[in-house]
Amino acid sequence: MKDSRLPPHPAQRVNRGKPITFTFEGRAIHAYDGETVAAALYAAGVRTFSRSFKYHRPRGLLCVAGRCPNCLMEVDGTPNVRTCIEPARQEMRVRGQHAWPSLERDLFACFDKLDRVLPVGFYYKTFIHPTWLWPTYERVLRRLAGLGRLDIAREPEGHGEHVHLHADLAIVGGGPAGIAAALEAARLGVEVLLIDDGPTLGGHLQWQLLPSEGEQPGYALALNLADLVRGEPRIRHLAGATAFGLYEGRLLGVMQGEHLIKVRAQRIVVATGGFETPLVFQNNDRPGVFLGDGLQRLMTLYGISPGRRALVIANADRGLRLARELLAAGIEVAAVADVRSEPHSADGQHLREAGVPVLSGHTVLEVRGRKRVEAAALVSLDSAERPSPGSEKTVECDLLALATGWEPASALLAQGGARLDYRADLGGFFPAELPSWLFAAGEVRGAQGLGAIQKDGRLAGLKAALSLGAGDARDRALAEALQEDANPPPSIRPIVSVPHPKPKRFVCLCEDVTEKDLADAIQEGFDHIETLKRYTTLTMGPCQGKMCHRASIGICAALTGRDPSQTGTTTARPPLKPVPLGVLAGPHHEPVKLTPIHHLHASLGATWMDMGLWKRPLVYTSVEEECRVVHQGVGLIDVSTLGKLDVKGRDAAQFLDWIHSNRFSDLKAGRVRYRVMLDDAGIILDDGTVARLGEDHFFLTTGSGSLELVEQWLEWWLAGSDRCLHVTDVTGALAAINLAGPKSREVLARLTDLDLSPEALPYLAAVQGTVAGIPVLILRIGFVGELGYEMHFAAEYGDYLWETLREAGREFDILPFGVEAQRVLRLEKLHIIPGHDTDALSNPLEADMAWVVKMDKPDFIGRATLARVKARGLRQRLVGFEMLTPVVPGEGDAVVADGLPVGRVTSAKWSPVLGRAIGMAWVPPDLAVDGGHLQVKCDGQVCRGRVVTKPFYDPEGKRLRS
Amino acid sequence: MWQLFKRERMWTARPLKDRYEVVIIGGGVHGLATAYYLGKLGVRDVAVCEKGYIGSGASGRNTAIIRSNYRTPEGVVFYDESVRLYEELAAELGYNVLFSQQGHLTLAHTDSAVNGLRVRAEVNQLMGVESRLIWPPEIKRLVPAIDVSSRPRYPILAALYHAPGGIIRHDAVVWGYARGADRMGISIHPFTEVIGIGTSNGQVTSVQTTRGTIRAGTVVNATAGFCSTVAKLVGLKLPIVTHPLQAFVTEPLSPFLDKVIVSANLHVYVSQTDRGELVIGSEIDPYSSYSYKSTLPFLEATAAHTLELFPCLRQVRVLRQWTGICDMTPDYSPIMGEVPGLKGFILDVGWGTYGFKAGPVSGKRIAELIVTGNTPDVLKPFSITRFWEGRLAGEKAAAAVSH
Repeated sequence: MKDSRLPPHPAQRVNRGKPITFTFEGRAIHAYDGETVAAALYAAGVRTFSRSFKYHRPRGLLCVAGRCPNCLMEVDGTPNVRTCIEPARQEMRVRGQHAWPSLERDLFACFDKLDRVLPVGFYYKTFIHPTWLWPTYERVLRRLAGLGRLDIAREPEGHGEHVHLHADLAIVGGGPAGIAAALEAARLGVEVLLIDDGPTLGGHLQWQLLPSEGEQPGYALALNLADLVRGEPRIRHLAGATAFGLYEGRLLGVMQGEHLIKVRAQRIVVATGGFETPLVFQNNDRPGVFLGDGLQRLMTLYGISPGRRALVIANADRGLRLARELLAAGIEVAAVADVRSEPHSADGQHLREAGVPVLSGHTVLEVRGRKRVEAAALVSLDSAERPSPGSEKTVECDLLALATGWEPASALLAQGGARLDYRADLGGFFPAELPSWLFAAGEVRGAQGLGAIQKDGRLAGLKAALSLGAGDARDRALAEALQEDANPPPSIRPIVSVPHPKPKRFVCLCEDVTEKDLADAIQEGFDHIETLKRYTTLTMGPCQGKMCHRASIGICAALTGRDPSQTGTTTARPPLKPVPLGVLAGPHHEPVKLTPIHHLHASLGATWMDMGLWKRPLVYTSVEEECRVVHQGVGLIDVSTLGKLDVKGRDAAQFLDWIHSNRFSDLKAGRVRYRVMLDDAGIILDDGTVARLGEDHFFLTTGSGSLELVEQWLEWWLAGSDRCLHVTDVTGALAAINLAGPKSREVLARLTDLDLSPEALPYLAAVQGTVAGIPVLILRIGFVGELGYEMHFAAEYGDYLWETLREAGREFDILPFGVEAQRVLRLEKLHIIPGHDTDALSNPLEADMAWVVKMDKPDFIGRATLARVKARGLRQRLVGFEMLTPVVPGEGDAVVADGLPVGRVTSAKWSPVLGRAIGMAWVPPDLAVDGGHLQVKCDGQVCRGRVVTKPFYDPEGKRLRS
Repeated sequence: MWQLFKRERMWTARPLKDRYEVVIIGGGVHGLATAYYLGKLGVRDVAVCEKGYIGSGASGRNTAIIRSNYRTPEGVVFYDESVRLYEELAAELGYNVLFSQQGHLTLAHTDSAVNGLRVRAEVNQLMGVESRLIWPPEIKRLVPAIDVSSRPRYPILAALYHAPGGIIRHDAVVWGYARGADRMGISIHPFTEVIGIGTSNGQVTSVQTTRGTIRAGTVVNATAGFCSTVAKLVGLKLPIVTHPLQAFVTEPLSPFLDKVIVSANLHVYVSQTDRGELVIGSEIDPYSSYSYKSTLPFLEATAAHTLELFPCLRQVRVLRQWTGICDMTPDYSPIMGEVPGLKGFILDVGWGTYGFKAGPVSGKRIAELIVTGNTPDVLKPFSITRFWEGRLAGEKAAAAVSH
């Protein structure tokens, strides 16, 4: 096919000196740098760009602005790419989608004949009986559904960043109104962020070959305005940046390429203009039917001749102007059908002089042509907007240019809290009331004509700047003066559809919803715009309602006998333009916490587990060996992951009494005590230890995963109280190692002058001293049930002390042990792990920890609930158990009675030292009897166990205290 | 099939009478199901008052996941009855609610989460509900698009596979019940907000609406999002905090995901509708609010977590986001049944993030309660008195995030 490119023109964005080749469905396409994929395909003769969702009708370019669903294709493996705004690149691979075998010849096009049996909501009314067949029907439906196909084996890379920008004033829209606002505000000294989704500034001026007002053609004016912006240092222009949502806190979500920019501005001016929308008539979706400004963009920006002979359909002056623009680009205009009875602007005269018939009171009834526009039937409308009988005339054409519908791009305003009211004179919803920080300017506010648009922009910029405290009395006077000038009266005859009995009159192109579908749905009772939307799926497709919003309101209003203002609109939900998940996700990094000793564990070949944000060694050699070493010799474990809080202040002791169920005010300095923290419902949140370092000074440890919770909990209860204390998180500052086992005293003695004798440093003592030359806080505690020393010291010495301890313990065959061994050892002692052995319903009384609840204290968090639990009696108990068969239950397995679940296993391990499987379980109180039998369902089998309520290992705690 | 060619109204606009036997506040799935089952039991003098259009609240905002793999035996029994009713609902109503029983996977990324899933698997199996733990190779077989490698920060360790779980066309359920109720003569009154409830001597006597006062001896609070403000109309304080819950939907893609995927650790869940859109949601927002406004941080975090599970979705686009509000109880279980001391006031509230799953069973059992005056056994664990007696029904682990 002959190349249909127009001669070069300064308005074009294309560099004809730089050719590009890419493939489309296997065929080579020649393009030029600056062209979009769709422009190049159009130049190469492609007219069918997609197949419709339901009927597989051929669809061609319509909006040429990335709004409508008509040009969605698969590009380099990414489905649903809007090819009309996707730049052509060398060697890209482009394919049609939702068609087989090809876009041009799609066998599924037979659905187009089935509209009588596929009316709106057909799936709600079919496939009901027999019920067993539904899954099969569903599989078929799913096979036919969707648009593009995702390649699930492909994992695209992401390069986008998340950026935060702050501005005094953010202006969305870089057309004449936005630019005027920006220049005016900058003149008053305000820092402006000008956000525009095009590559260059100027908005709709950029595709105008003719002057709007004065001598200068639109595109040249756009270039001049862009120069003015460039020359103003207070304006920062974000090009190619789409503001897709206005969120609470004056936060604009902006997408720029792969980047997400979060803009917070004191004032926001929305100068987003508007966009054209289609008219509803028979075959209004045929390739060749264009929105007027889409056609202009294709011709002017990309230099593509769209066709041979155009028919223009107008309802306002912009349609007459469109016809003149087509003539200026060298396209023949067959006629202009203007639905208004009396075309007003001077353009009408120009057209008549150029020999173009302008048919007043006419509009389009139907497009003819099987796969593309071949002719159109025009009809004259009577005053009730019904076609006059006998007025039909046929015009041959290959292009139908619509300038019949226009909608303000007011979604950001709605999201920002503006009230939008219907204006009958303009046939749309316009801002009527705005929050004080939000301004609207230009066409989105209803301004008509370039002069009015620019003036309105100036006014918005001025008002925004004044509200920021800029400007002086003269500027205020200017704002008054600009305010007073009224807009010229618009000349529009808003219509959305032309009555006609034929069925293929599309309101929603995304989902193939016709006007008949809307009528049927309304007849069935879906007569509210929101239920109509949900039933017909109107506005819910890839165009997000941009193409159908206006028409659907008009049709719903007409069919229900209400006016559009009563009909209302559907909610303008963000994002306004579809945003890729990768842009939103950005360079997402989940944090990882590593202890100062981490690299040594790695060199020892540890296997890892996640605990909260931490990575912890699970096992080094084997669980059996690691347990044996701790029981018989000496082991060491990195416990740097424990949360560590320094609590200091006059009221610290009393505060800790209030936060915990047990008492700390009577804890002596130099002693350490177990702590349990409850919520107000008496549920166990966390446990750990408290060491008293001085009268007003305590050191708390928390579980590895619960530091944040505990710190927030303490701060929550401190906030607003006049208690005198500080809580400081010292977790990252300190490393911690637990040295455990009967030989641990001998190992430690080699490294310190401290008196480690049981008399000087008994069980539950805390001492600060020097170990291996560094200051260490030693806590004599024993989570793993043997003599042990938990040492806290500066993180910088983490690997040093670890290696020094291993060296000192060499002759005792010291070994590191991991979390798995630690869990076996603590289970042998029936020490609980909150969150593992307890859940959101576990209180300490039922968890068999009544000893840690001091009901005689004045008050503590959770006390009231525990008093009630005491009064009502225990409903469940946490007990130890041992298996009578050599089976280790899964953690989470059910405890059963009479075949029903009555409890659950929380922990279960094989104990090498005991030679049997042991565990902990929640059971009903009647089963919580020492020696009582228990049934556990393991792997489908019911296995027997026995309840043990005392620690399995060293029940008297002699080894711990040795 | 014949319905295809008929254009019958789904429901009719009836005049608002000044007296009904039963007034149901809330025209969502719960209120309409209650009306429907009341009608089936012969009680037809019923009005459903809805402040917006029907299904405009939580019923139209939830992500339509149906399942019964709960954690407590009482929860499992209750939701299982609901799944069974949903299975028969299209035939019952003569309206296809598009129940896609595609199967439901709850992922675990930590060992404690695996244990939590094992608890549920065991309880489910013992209560006769199909549910089992599966491991990464089987997860990958069921969901080829998911990343089960060790590359993510929190690799997938296991999943609870619940075959009867799935998704449904939530609006169709609402419409189907509305049509069924309407055909039995029950009145559905959209845009009729209840602004007061009259009581006398410990007995409900009337409701005041924006369209006039109605006398009624039985009033059902079947609202979501505002159940505590409605309860306050009779001076009843509910142990409820209301939080926003957000979700978003992507452009339609040819279906590649036919399982509901939930990750409690990553706070995200993903399903694909029969139309091809991905529906993606998260846990409730951490703050309490009645605001329907959507937020950008939600989109960012949820997108990031989705890509952890499905790296192939990076270039898939988000079409729209929305927000609902959820009435959270302390134990993540609902509040249903009568209120001691106030005859005729019946609660069907506190539905948190799990209300849609329970629509049919609550409707049916609340209707039974109204007709017989006796609380059915399946409702007993969910009485409001449990908060006064410290007898909570612990579904937090199974209901939070796990939609």
